[in-house]
Amino acid sequence: MNRSNKRNQGTYLVDIDPAWKLVLDPENIFWGLLNKDDQGAYLPADFLHLYEQQKKQLDRQLADFRFTTELNSVYIDPTDRCNAHCPYCYIPQEIRKHGTQMSAGLLDEVLRKIKAYFKDSRKKPVIIFHAAEPFLVKELLFDAIRKYRTSFLFGIQTNATLLEKKDVDFMKAVRAGVGISLDAPAKALNNHLRSTGNGNGNYDAAMQALDWFDGYEGLSVITTVTRHNVTVLEELVRVLHAKKVSSLLLNPVRLTMKSAVSLKPDDTLFADNLIRAVETAMDLTEKTGRQIVVGNVANTILAIVAPAARRMMCDISPCGAGRTFLTVTANGDMLPCGEFIGFKEFSGGNISASSIGHALHSDAFKRVRERTVEMIDDCKTCVFRNICGAPCPAELHARGDMYQKARSCEFYKTMIRYAFQLIARDKVQYLLRSDAVRRMEYEYLYA
Amino acid sequence: MRTSKEVKRTHKDMHAPKKETPHIIAYRMKCARTANGLTHFVMYGDVPKQQMPL
Ligand SMILES: C[S@@+](CC[C@H](N)C(=O)[O-])C[C@H]1O[C@@H](n2cnc3c(N)ncnc32)[C@H](O)[C@@H]1O
Ligand code: SF4
Ligand code: SF4
Repeated sequence: MNRSNKRNQGTYLVDIDPAWKLVLDPENIFWGLLNKDDQGAYLPADFLHLYEQQKKQLDRQLADFRFTTELNSVYIDPTDRCNAHCPYCYIPQEIRKHGTQMSAGLLDEVLRKIKAYFKDSRKKPVIIFHAAEPFLVKELLFDAIRKYRTSFLFGIQTNATLLEKKDVDFMKAVRAGVGISLDAPAKALNNHLRSTGNGNGNYDAAMQALDWFDGYEGLSVITTVTRHNVTVLEELVRVLHAKKVSSLLLNPVRLTMKSAVSLKPDDTLFADNLIRAVETAMDLTEKTGRQIVVGNVANTILAIVAPAARRMMCDISPCGAGRTFLTVTANGDMLPCGEFIGFKEFSGGNISASSIGHALHSDAFKRVRERTVEMIDDCKTCVFRNICGAPCPAELHARGDMYQKARSCEFYKTMIRYAFQLIARDKVQYLLRSDAVRRMEYEYLYA
Repeated sequence: MRTSKEVKRTHKDMHAPKKETPHIIAYRMKCARTANGLTHFVMYGDVPKQQMPL
């Protein structure tokens, strides 16, 4: 396989839809949308001048963003165990059943080491309590939050089954971020996908939690999209908007576990349904003045209009794993990302015997950071390569080789075209969080 | 045409140029400031700065 780093220079013309075509430099995401009605076939001199004027700086900006952005968050798995059995979960069942729980001593050591790593940082790092089900050890977490709340921003990702009203009050009081998992607007389907056994699931608990959170700005809902729930996304947006949820992630199922492969939704069906969900979200936002943002689509919009402002996770290459964030598992192992939990060969060492800095410099972490779109045959000439990022290395490693295009490549291409249509339709202000929009300013504007 | 030095517009005019059918839409935005300098939609710990207790 040819894994050369040869760069493709210059701008490309891309057909977006019957009304618009796109000029794009994939290397720095300089773009212009051309109205096809305007038969002026050639690009105006002042537009070309703008490109020449901005090119160097934009090249540098994107390269800095891709290769020099530093660690800013740490995911901690306080327990490897879970009380649910989602069929697609990327954490192997054996680990979820019999996995380790972190002791208070180890959690304190982890947080002390993270604090030491960031001692010269001006920004507060973000700590996210994540897989498997953190509320199985909630007192441990809450004690840690009480002790370290001046040093870190905290977030907790949960299936909500063990949540009590007083927990919600606590999280709101300390302004923690919260992610709640919910896969469908109807109970039966949700509980089929997010089962807790005996025909039950997390539906009632998640709905109750949304009521308790009552529009809290730090709350986000995460939905994992499979072939089972792909057609209910629009309805889900309506239900969550009525519950005052302002942020929703509609994530494609990762095929890291073999059992998830058969659950992948068809790319076209997923794109059609996600587009309908986004249109509904914009419509509700416009009509009611209360916002609901589809986070993954917001990130694609940001990748185009403000590439360095996106949260660096999966949709950039190299991805954020082992660079802008890492995961510490319940036994203290450091992984580039939680998706690698089933692969011992990607451990960057145990934090008790080592440090965050060592893990970041480990060969295992470097191996993930080395994976760039330029090294993937199908992606290196793709015009959308720096918008899509070809996720995900863990998933693709599990499916045989990291150096292949994304399993949902066609889905990403459709969504990126759609994002350009939304920009042409002047919808950006409804697609990004309003407080983020208030803080943005133009670097340049061709008008 | 305007360039970054001349344009200091913010969210209020964050929209494509107001011609009926503009010939070309092209712009680039940057983040002036976010809660943690990090994220732009609420996700894990990113609560707007003015709402942080500390
Ligand atoms: C692994 S869980 C851990 C926290 C908690 N137990 C929960 O359910 O939110 C975190 C999130 O990852 C999602 N997830 C699990 N397996 C996934 C997969 N194969 N692809 C995409 N998302 C997945 C879950 O649906 C959940 O929203
Ligand atoms: S996965 Fe597909 S859309 Fe993404 S960069 Fe590769 S070829 Fe392009
Ligand atoms: S692309 Fe995969 S490994 Fe990277 S951050 Fe996303 S889920 Fe994790």
